[in-house]
Amino acid sequence: MSIEVKNLVKVFDEKRVIDDISFKVNNSETLAVVGFSGSGKSTILKLICGLLTPDSGEIITSEGDTAMVFQYSALFDSLNVADNISFALRERKDLRKKYKEEELKDIVAQKLELVGLKGIENKFPAELSGGMQKRVSFARAIVTEPNSILYDEPTSGLDPISSTLIEDYIVRLKEETKAASIVVTHQMSTITRTADRVIMLYDGKIVFEGTPDEMLRQETPYTKQFVTASLEGPMKMLA
Amino acid sequence: MEFLIKLTLNNILNYNKAMRALQKYYKQSATYKIFSGVFALLEDFLNTLGQITIKGLQLLKALFTAHIDKKELIEQCDRFGISSLPITLSIVGMTSIIVASQVANEMVKQGGGHFIGLLMTMLIVREVGSIMSGFAIISMIGSSLASEIATMRVTEQIDAIKVLKVNPVEYLFVPRVLSGILMMPVIVIIASVVGVLAGAVASTLTTDLSFRAYFESAWLGIYMKDLGVSLLKGLTFGGTIALISCTCGYYASGGAKGVGLATTKAVVWSFVAIVIWDMIFAIIFFF
Repeated sequence: MSIEVKNLVKVFDEKRVIDDISFKVNNSETLAVVGFSGSGKSTILKLICGLLTPDSGEIITSEGDTAMVFQYSALFDSLNVADNISFALRERKDLRKKYKEEELKDIVAQKLELVGLKGIENKFPAELSGGMQKRVSFARAIVTEPNSILYDEPTSGLDPISSTLIEDYIVRLKEETKAASIVVTHQMSTITRTADRVIMLYDGKIVFEGTPDEMLRQETPYTKQFVTASLEGPMKMLA
Repeated sequence: MEFLIKLTLNNILNYNKAMRALQKYYKQSATYKIFSGVFALLEDFLNTLGQITIKGLQLLKALFTAHIDKKELIEQCDRFGISSLPITLSIVGMTSIIVASQVANEMVKQGGGHFIGLLMTMLIVREVGSIMSGFAIISMIGSSLASEIATMRVTEQIDAIKVLKVNPVEYLFVPRVLSGILMMPVIVIIASVVGVLAGAVASTLTTDLSFRAYFESAWLGIYMKDLGVSLLKGLTFGGTIALISCTCGYYASGGAKGVGLATTKAVVWSFVAIVIWDMIFAIIFFF
């Protein structure tokens, strides 16, 4: 087990955005979290990586780092690609003195190769396309060799081909790092191509849990509505 | 009995209904709007004050424990001191010219022409050099620091720093505040020198006073205490401007509007803060 969430509750303005949610993600497993906008998907990721504090419940992660790939990459625009990737190794108290400059260069080159981007160390984020920025943020996330990786809508805003490329890298990173991964997404292709299991959120609760195939079979009113993108069904658009 | 219960329930329901109607009516009144507006302002004021205090305390700790990246510190010093210098010197110089051209004539008329240099030097070293430099730095550097960090906040870069387990106060605040503390006294000294020189030019052009007469009395207006207080003001203003600007940027929320609001807040708070500091220094050292 690498990530375990027990009876998690998060309240914003008296609304239970996350309402008593529990799930587990094992090593080398990818869980897709799906649901309407505002259903609390990104809040779960922020709770797991410590950006938010839960109101109640427990989050247990196995020892090691939890990395996060942000929806809009969140690369540091004043730093070049190499400095972005090596940021944690240069600035973190426990890692700062561990690597020499040459070693850092090698690590950056190795991570860039892993995400299919060679020789762009000196470019700045503004000089890269959206898909390339996303892959650089993948490289930055895995630089500390994390035990769990969280992806917040990794394919949003990308064209279908770039989305496929990103999905392939999510699978590749899982195989390379053996990390437990959680992917928050709306896109069916990302779910079917990357996830081992899926949970669907609605109104802060889990309304479906199963494999992508089970979801595609549309056996519950929730999965049927989500897969067919229908306005008719138990889920109403949240304001 | 049943009738009595029904009557009581009806009364309660009617009472609640009446209270809701009254509440709705009251919420539309001018009194409610004025009070709620005042309370919202007060809440925002206390909230910002709390945020600055918390970040100030965290910064105080971080100044002793953080690893200081020399390259980043030099970059911030260059931004704080060098790039802001032309505007700062222009503002202090022009203020000195404005004051000298109005005061010099009057002093000559009243027979105090030989004290123009003394008056200008005291005025510039004690007040104009530091406070006008502070205003210039707020508008140039404070606003830029606040908008830079606010943009990092709304584009999740600060969240990324936290997820990568780097302390944002150590990484963002320490080099910026330290550069403010180090560079502002230097700016104040240079600005004061330029201010005294500009005052000399203006005084000699508007009256028949000579440079020599101006500077002979100018020396009489410089005390070690004044120079010390001026330097102290410089480092206090520099640190305060950087801390307030970083904090306002750090707590920005929303998109472009949030960045704009954070920048405005940083400028307003910095202006008020340095005037308050100036008053405190005046009370402590010159009362």
